[in-house]
Amino acid sequence: MSEMWINMGPQHPMTHGLWNLRVRIDGEMILDVDPEMGYLHRGIEKISEDRHYNEVITLMDRTCYVAGMAWEHLYIQAAEKALGITAPERAEWIRMMSEEFQRLASHIMWYAAFVQDLGLMSPFLYGMRDRDLILDLFQAYTGGRLTYEYMRVGGVRNDLPEGFPKQAREVLDWLEPRLVEYDRLCMGSDIFRSRCDGLGVLKESDCVRLGVTGPMLRSAGSKRDIRKDRPYSRYSQVEFDVATADAGDVTGRYLVRMEEMRQSIRIIRQTLDWLDHHPGPVIADHLPRWLGAPYAPVGREGYLLKRNYPKGVGLSAIEEPHGEACAYVVNEGGEHPYRVKFRSPVFANLSACSHYLVGYRVADIPPIMGSVDVCVGEVDR
Amino acid sequence: MESNPEDIRAQLTAAGAVGVLAVEPFDGAAARVKFAPESAAALFQVFRDALGFTHLSTVGGIDWVTRYEVFYLLWSDATKRYVILSADLDAKTPHIETASPTWPSANWHEREAWELVGIHFDHHPDLRHLLMPDGYQFHPLQRAFKLHEPEELEVKVRHV
Amino acid sequence: MSAVAPAAPLPAAPKPGPVVGPGGELPVVTNDVTFVEIETLRSREFLPAAKEALSAMLKEQGESKLIRPVFNWAGRNSLFPLHWGLACCAIEFAAAFGARWDAERFGVVPRSSPRQCDLLIVNGTVTWKVAHKLIALYEQMPEPKWVIAMGNCATGGGPFRTAYSVVPGVDKLVPVDVYIAGCPPRPEALLDGILRLEALIRERGE
Repeated sequence: MSEMWINMGPQHPMTHGLWNLRVRIDGEMILDVDPEMGYLHRGIEKISEDRHYNEVITLMDRTCYVAGMAWEHLYIQAAEKALGITAPERAEWIRMMSEEFQRLASHIMWYAAFVQDLGLMSPFLYGMRDRDLILDLFQAYTGGRLTYEYMRVGGVRNDLPEGFPKQAREVLDWLEPRLVEYDRLCMGSDIFRSRCDGLGVLKESDCVRLGVTGPMLRSAGSKRDIRKDRPYSRYSQVEFDVATADAGDVTGRYLVRMEEMRQSIRIIRQTLDWLDHHPGPVIADHLPRWLGAPYAPVGREGYLLKRNYPKGVGLSAIEEPHGEACAYVVNEGGEHPYRVKFRSPVFANLSACSHYLVGYRVADIPPIMGSVDVCVGEVDR
Repeated sequence: MESNPEDIRAQLTAAGAVGVLAVEPFDGAAARVKFAPESAAALFQVFRDALGFTHLSTVGGIDWVTRYEVFYLLWSDATKRYVILSADLDAKTPHIETASPTWPSANWHEREAWELVGIHFDHHPDLRHLLMPDGYQFHPLQRAFKLHEPEELEVKVRHV
Repeated sequence: MSAVAPAAPLPAAPKPGPVVGPGGELPVVTNDVTFVEIETLRSREFLPAAKEALSAMLKEQGESKLIRPVFNWAGRNSLFPLHWGLACCAIEFAAAFGARWDAERFGVVPRSSPRQCDLLIVNGTVTWKVAHKLIALYEQMPEPKWVIAMGNCATGGGPFRTAYSVVPGVDKLVPVDVYIAGCPPRPEALLDGILRLEALIRERGE
């Protein structure tokens, strides 16, 4: 049979976003793939150069729209290092809790979208319903469902509202048995297993070589997790295990993400206990005037002039729900960052896609690409 | 976590690395290693094989108006630390040897750095547009590239 | 046929007398009967019955007066949006079809092929790279078709308005019927936008 190139995207139910997977096929077999990105390139790194440090946070929520808190956390850490500002202890714990809630929400969103692609409709409805409970929590203390603008250079915008820990614990108590049910829905389904087992295999050595990180790397047996290896925020003070699997296939990625959700719940419980007993300020005192008070409008000429503030470069790395994310913020003494550079985990995971797609069949593309958990916003930025 | 430039310097000397200009402390990484762009290819091999930095996180470029800087962020699984490689490039024709043979993950990162910052990577296997459409003339992350107000635009849609 | 849009003249009120159904003559309800026998319309009988009723009305009223209101009524109550996600708003778009909001109760069912759609919901930032693909998708949709610009990015570029790669508002590319503000709009706002579009279609009598 003759070979041909087909386009899957930019409008295709498989893509979950705006990108184009060009596939060279011979019958059903995939011979070559060439992803075409950039349909959602919004120039976030360039716009950041025109914005004040706190205004970049708005863009961070939209960079990865399923993991806004994680990206805020990433940027804030780098910006604080570049500016030489430290956040109060309580703010760090709230940030850590936010990131773990975001990981839960992101993984549930992945679960809903991924399993729906395999033809099981109820996981989508289950997942979207339970994710809304977490978004309700975000709404309770940030006011937003997807885009929060919550963290600030030097802390977080506001403290948790009254009654929040109780509400959060109720949601966690609800979610824990639900995760068991999620698992039974998928791992007990022959259709799911036969469409996932042994597909899209990427070995650990290949993952390292190709820059693949996150659940994809850990499903191949590696234990690399930035939260453990290079603890940021207060991750050194909480107990959790790094989820791993051996096979490196779609089922392995599914198992890793499921286990990560359980570990996230474990971390959040410890964080809530800590927050109960340690009240305190959530934003640093004596912030430089040009950074503005947390609620002050920014951007008026002259008000934010930055004088005699040291230059610096900030590097931060976090374990984002999709993998290792890095931010590199260059502060050259202006009101705006001189250069902001982000490392997106999905960008690297996707760049290796010819290594885990070639040799499989066209019908295997949705499960394999679904297990990668593509978020185009952070790939294209 | 702690910056440890002496250790990196000692290991580089032991491995016989050439072209290293300076090893500076850096918050959040083991060190920032400044190197001469001519010796890039050999130095990449040293960092991967002798120092164990098997994972390339990202490649980025900065336009400093009078010069360009290209930086590489590396991670070592064995010692669990980052290191930053940084080289200054000529402002007129910024170019450096590609890191793709050493770390295949550099492929897309270098495509992005070429497209957005304008740094050319010699002997890159596939240096073409990644994010912007083919034939896009500009390098948006250069300082000379200014953002426009959309009101100045006139949009014409022609149906063919 | 009471659900036909009021923009068109309503059919005359039925005269009192025997009601003619597909099963023949139904018993006339009078005061002296204690129970009523009603023959329900089974699903396989629905189409012939509808055809019969429609053709009778067509004969009575003429084609143009009836067909358009019927299509208008049917079309606005079963809007099929294109299933594609551009950016952040796509997540809220998906949430609107989740368990809590359940947009399908309004007859809104996303389809993956533009040939089956009559509603394009632009849920996110449109870049110049995707602009011509968006126009192509719009052109592939059969008439009549409508566009909802969901969120600030589709409305006017949003926070990325000044970026070099972003179209400042999708109305520069395709005609937009309803704009929904928000970054991103909540699912309620999306549902409200869809209902407003339904009202708009009814008003225009398209």
